[in-house]
Amino acid sequence: MGPNLRNTLVVARREFLVKARTRAFRFGTVLLVIGAVLVALAPVVIGWIDRQVITKVAVASAAELAFDPVARTAAVLNAGSEADHPAYDVKAVAPDEARQAVERGDYSAALVIERPATGSDLAFTVVTKDPPGGRVPASVQQAAASIAVADRLDRLGVAPGDQAALFAPATVTVEEPTPPGPGEAAESSVEFYTKMALGQVLVIFLFMAIILYGQWVATSVAEEKASRVMEIVLTAATPFQLLGGKVLGVGGLGLVQFAAALAAVIVTLLLQGPVASFVFGAEASSMDLPAGLTPDVILTFTILFVLGFLLYAVLYAAAGATVSRMEDVNSVVAPMSLVAAIGYIVAVYGATGLIPADASWVTLLSFIPFFSPYMILSRYLTGDAGPLDIVAATLILVVSIVVCLWFAARIYEAGVLAYGQKAGVRQLLKLAFGRR
Amino acid sequence: MSLEITNLHKRFGETVALDGITFRVEPGQVFGFLGANGAGKTTTMRIALDIIRADEGRVSWRGRDSTELPRRTWGYLPEERGLYPRMKVEEQLVFFAALYGVPSKAARAEVHEWLERFRVPEYAGRKAEELSKGNQQKVQFIAAVLHDPEVLVMDEPFAGLDPVNVDLLKDAFLEMRDRGKTLVFSTHQMEMVEELCDAVAIIDRGRLLANGPTAEVRRMTGKRVVRLGVVGDPDLPWLAGIAGTRITRAGRDYSEIEVADGQDPEALLHAAMERGERITRFEIADPSLTHIFIDLVGTRPDAEERTLAGPRAASGTPPTGPGPGGAPPVDAPPGHAASSAGPTPSGPATGA
Repeated sequence: MGPNLRNTLVVARREFLVKARTRAFRFGTVLLVIGAVLVALAPVVIGWIDRQVITKVAVASAAELAFDPVARTAAVLNAGSEADHPAYDVKAVAPDEARQAVERGDYSAALVIERPATGSDLAFTVVTKDPPGGRVPASVQQAAASIAVADRLDRLGVAPGDQAALFAPATVTVEEPTPPGPGEAAESSVEFYTKMALGQVLVIFLFMAIILYGQWVATSVAEEKASRVMEIVLTAATPFQLLGGKVLGVGGLGLVQFAAALAAVIVTLLLQGPVASFVFGAEASSMDLPAGLTPDVILTFTILFVLGFLLYAVLYAAAGATVSRMEDVNSVVAPMSLVAAIGYIVAVYGATGLIPADASWVTLLSFIPFFSPYMILSRYLTGDAGPLDIVAATLILVVSIVVCLWFAARIYEAGVLAYGQKAGVRQLLKLAFGRR
Repeated sequence: MSLEITNLHKRFGETVALDGITFRVEPGQVFGFLGANGAGKTTTMRIALDIIRADEGRVSWRGRDSTELPRRTWGYLPEERGLYPRMKVEEQLVFFAALYGVPSKAARAEVHEWLERFRVPEYAGRKAEELSKGNQQKVQFIAAVLHDPEVLVMDEPFAGLDPVNVDLLKDAFLEMRDRGKTLVFSTHQMEMVEELCDAVAIIDRGRLLANGPTAEVRRMTGKRVVRLGVVGDPDLPWLAGIAGTRITRAGRDYSEIEVADGQDPEALLHAAMERGERITRFEIADPSLTHIFIDLVGTRPDAEERTLAGPRAASGTPPTGPGPGGAPPVDAPPGHAASSAGPTPSGPATGA
């Protein structure tokens, strides 16, 4: 083993061990594993939360009606939910108790039905603490409309039996412009939202990992300069070995955290079936849980994580080498964090559809090295980018890393020995690339 | 076969740091590298260690260019002191040694041996930030020698040490010399140089002013120093009548007289005897390195140095204007010169 590789590994090992022992790292890893498990369990968790939330609605009718307003309200409110897991629990209360019941919090809303005069239309009041445009008041208003129409039909002499046919829901099919091929199933809305949520979470993870680990590299470099240990280390190792070792060491930490999170995710996915049947009871087997984290997604994420980290880490290291005091680290890495944040924001907005993920400028940005880790991942998860796009973006990334490494090594070399004097950008570039 | 420093030039922007430095250090020597702050000592050392490159000139050791020498040839104690604050002493020393390819087991044993020698074995498991400055310096010295380098380069190794630690470090120096290592160090403490160094180089503003064996450098101005003690008037007023003499230390016990080049120091003895003075002490010596340094550079070597170890640090007398007898302003006030010879001169005193 040549001194180059040996020293790089010695530096990397120190970096890794020292940081791995810190409380911040251990605590962070635990949090990350918990987060990863929650993400992996997201479909089950969302399903569970969905079933737990039952909104209670009271119906207080002071009017004579040919039908049961409670049953009709329940039918309208629960039209969208599964038969055995209704989202709304509708009960009848006395008209004079409706307000107190809502006030006490027994019900989210109360629908008060009155008939101002014999033969007139019904008058409705929705009593609720929710804002008028809220989900519950809006749904209750729909129920009121339905009751009003039913009452008018009744007064027009339409028999309740015939009304059932009138109120029967129409058959509506929602379709994509290009219908799925023979082998593919149409994407369910649950699948769509799971993918969207997953895309966002992964992009957030990637962004945080790059910023966080990049900062570690910068801090670690600045720390060596600030503590003046740099000169001792530089006697033994070249700046290039130091730079490489630092990036590798911190990168190794990142990979360890990532591997811990990934292991947690895989175990969780394997246990998802049993967990689901525990949560949902026996019928879970019939439930089709969307598997969000497929191997190709994990592989893509891993590659982009490693490359994205390397790209930013070498630049963060160079930035850290330009300051002499720890306090200055934040200001010097800010521009890079800003660039990272731009890619991240576009990627997240693209994943949610706030920015069209297939717009040409988004497509272009997703191949530009500093943005591509997030953006190509996001576009891949929404299905806007294929495997070939990933390969292209990856190659561009690799080339940029080599260029950045060369650039960063020069800056680093010039920066590590420039003590005290606050080197301006121009002065530093001159030191780095001028005659030495 | 020696450490050859040949015609080094180095500029930092507009500043000329080195302007043709050339000197040589023989293997096994203890070499003093002297100069005021900013003279170019650190730059020369960094170039020798290949941390930075010279614009011109070269450094070689045993015939090999410094850019091709393996890094473990050198042990370096930089002026900028620093350790990893939150790393344990033993751990970071093993790390430094590993950068030179020293296996961790061997390094650990060495670390304990050195900590033992410095009488601080209990620091192995302590974090560096918990150690005092002087103890951190010991740890740094160990870092410099752990990989058994052939040449030890030390920038101000004694700065900031208390007298006890100065002695410990001095012993460590001698230990390294006995192991056959070549030692190059810079310092402002001239007594240390006179005591330890076989040869010296004095540089100022990037230029070499003197170089050679310590004894030769001390004689280079041609001036001699006479230490004369008499019973009676210690101010020796009669000396004013002898040309080429100047009192540089007027003590109650004895006086120190600088004798210009070409003057016979023994003339003072004759003059004293002719006057019938009862002589308690007469000694002819070379000027101290402090004298030489002041003559060559124009300022005191420790003009900007703050050290706990230097016997004169507490007095902190700044260089002053002309001394008695219209001496040029570069000369030190008389009170300063004596200490360079030590409190008890061991030279033979000729009684009358």
